[in-house]
Amino acid sequence: MTLAKAPASRMSALTRRGTWRQGRRRSAQERRDTRTGLALVTPAVLFVSVFALFPLGFGVYISLTDWPLIGPYHFIGLANYENLVHNSVFLQSIVFTLKYTAIVTVPIFVVGYALAVFVRSNRRGSTLFRTMIFLPYIVGLVAESYMAVVELQPSSGTANFALSKLGLVSDTTAWLVHTGLALTAISVLVVWFASGLTMMLLMAGMQGIPHEIYESARVDGASWWSVERRLTLPLLRRSIALSLIISVVGSFLAFNQFFIMTDGGPGTSTVPVVMSIFDTAFAQMDVGLASAMSVVLVIVVGLITFVQFHYLQGDGD
Amino acid sequence: MAAVRNRQGQPSGAGQPGPLTGRGARTGLGAAGRGRSGQGAAARGYSGRKETGFFWYFLGGLAISAVFVLPLLWEVFRSFQPESAISAAPSGRTFGHLTTANYKTLLTGQADIIRNVTNSLIIAVITAALTALVATLAGYGFALFKFRGSAIAFGLVLLAFMIPFQAVLTPLFLEMHFLHLLNSLIGLALFYTTFNLPVGVYVMRNSFLQVPRELVDAARVDGASVITTLVSVFRPLIMPGIATAALYAFLFSWTEFLGALSFLTNDSLFTLPVALSNVETGTYGAVNFGLLLAGAVIAMVPCVIVYVALQRYYVRGLISGALKG
Repeated sequence: MTLAKAPASRMSALTRRGTWRQGRRRSAQERRDTRTGLALVTPAVLFVSVFALFPLGFGVYISLTDWPLIGPYHFIGLANYENLVHNSVFLQSIVFTLKYTAIVTVPIFVVGYALAVFVRSNRRGSTLFRTMIFLPYIVGLVAESYMAVVELQPSSGTANFALSKLGLVSDTTAWLVHTGLALTAISVLVVWFASGLTMMLLMAGMQGIPHEIYESARVDGASWWSVERRLTLPLLRRSIALSLIISVVGSFLAFNQFFIMTDGGPGTSTVPVVMSIFDTAFAQMDVGLASAMSVVLVIVVGLITFVQFHYLQGDGD
Repeated sequence: MAAVRNRQGQPSGAGQPGPLTGRGARTGLGAAGRGRSGQGAAARGYSGRKETGFFWYFLGGLAISAVFVLPLLWEVFRSFQPESAISAAPSGRTFGHLTTANYKTLLTGQADIIRNVTNSLIIAVITAALTALVATLAGYGFALFKFRGSAIAFGLVLLAFMIPFQAVLTPLFLEMHFLHLLNSLIGLALFYTTFNLPVGVYVMRNSFLQVPRELVDAARVDGASVITTLVSVFRPLIMPGIATAALYAFLFSWTEFLGALSFLTNDSLFTLPVALSNVETGTYGAVNFGLLLAGAVIAMVPCVIVYVALQRYYVRGLISGALKG
């Protein structure tokens, strides 16, 4: 990540003060800096090591064992990974998650982009609109999923009431007990929830594009559409990459909305990857297998991030 | 050479490729990283046809915003309807009957949701405070002290950004078990803090990098201790960064579901989002959609209040991440 590319030269600015002093003073100062600096960053490094990096390595180790939730365990090599290939629920959950991700990614991006174009100017009201459009993201998908459960009930929910008045569906449509309908309802909810975030990220990118570039395009008489396509889109590559990574990875790690709205049903037809890991670990208590699934998930998410970043970043940056 | 520039009295980073000078750092929203194009230019870029069509722009904006806000407001309204009206076919006769019965039942009844709200609040406040504290110290260290291993340590912290917590949940469950942190509000807060640190440390490091160089040097010459300098000299300059880090952590913690579901198994320790899943499945008797809606609204309200009050800090963090991410 480019986040890590800190301008190291600037960190040294402080010690530069010492460069015109004599060597001994400087090295004493440097030693003190090292001690203080290390002491300051140690808590953060500890937190991350204990609760993120260690579990990652520990998970790889567990995935090579038959670790039950309680009781002794044995080292069994790659057997868990071999089992994964035949685990139909897990394979189905991967296919389902890919499908869900494919369904929501484009609408989130298109809606988010359109909203960003709308609110990027500093016209009167645009700040207010940004706030309101972003609100569903702030409130969080959990509370909204509970609300959706109530409103998607056949014959009492608002969704059927409104849609049946428009003649689109019957007012007895049971959204959450049919795979296709449930996926549709959840996708609509998620697009509504997440496009505000894409809007914010793209808007920030758009506002970072120097004004002069647009001035010269306007002088050349370019149309709005060609300016958008030839100037904004290419210059926005980094922001687009970031917003796509966030939305694709987010979809791939989806859990809450499915747990709350369908609990994976009907059958196991709407079980996303994270839910199949969750069930394997905490319902079937097969921690080894669940860890193998987690390792696969980490690799897949890492690959998605890497590919999208490189593909969209371009320019070798 | 750098020292020469210092002695000429231009210590504020002029000539360096950094995005901001000291002055820009204090101008509030949008200062997060607009260096390339200057403060105003970026904002002006799109408002060519300034006042023409303002009416239509505003009307369109309200229509679009309504799509995102009205469903939430509608649910607030619905939560004041009696349960019978929520779970029966909509009818004009019962539509306008409003009552606080759902809230009363939820807060005083068997569900004992006040305890869950308290749990959520405790965890969110601890998470926000811990994240702000740890991220401030780390940001201070990374930005203003040069030491061996700094780059590695910074890389480690940002690495947590790449690890989805959903994917380490199982090993983390076992680890928390060994550390006696399961079924513990503190344990959950420690876990939340960890996954808020990458953003927090990044934001805080940027805040410290924007402190004017003269101030850093002056504090050093004074010989004030590291912590004294932090509290008495830097505090006012880094408060916006601290607010950003704390706000992110608070909202993350308040709305988090999967971790709380996994690491808490004792009903009395459940956070609000997890407790609502009991309401949803009717653990406390028959499923009551009135209670569910009231609970969801209670979960929503703090987010809205905190966000609307502090949104400039939220947007700041988002934008600084977006421009450099």
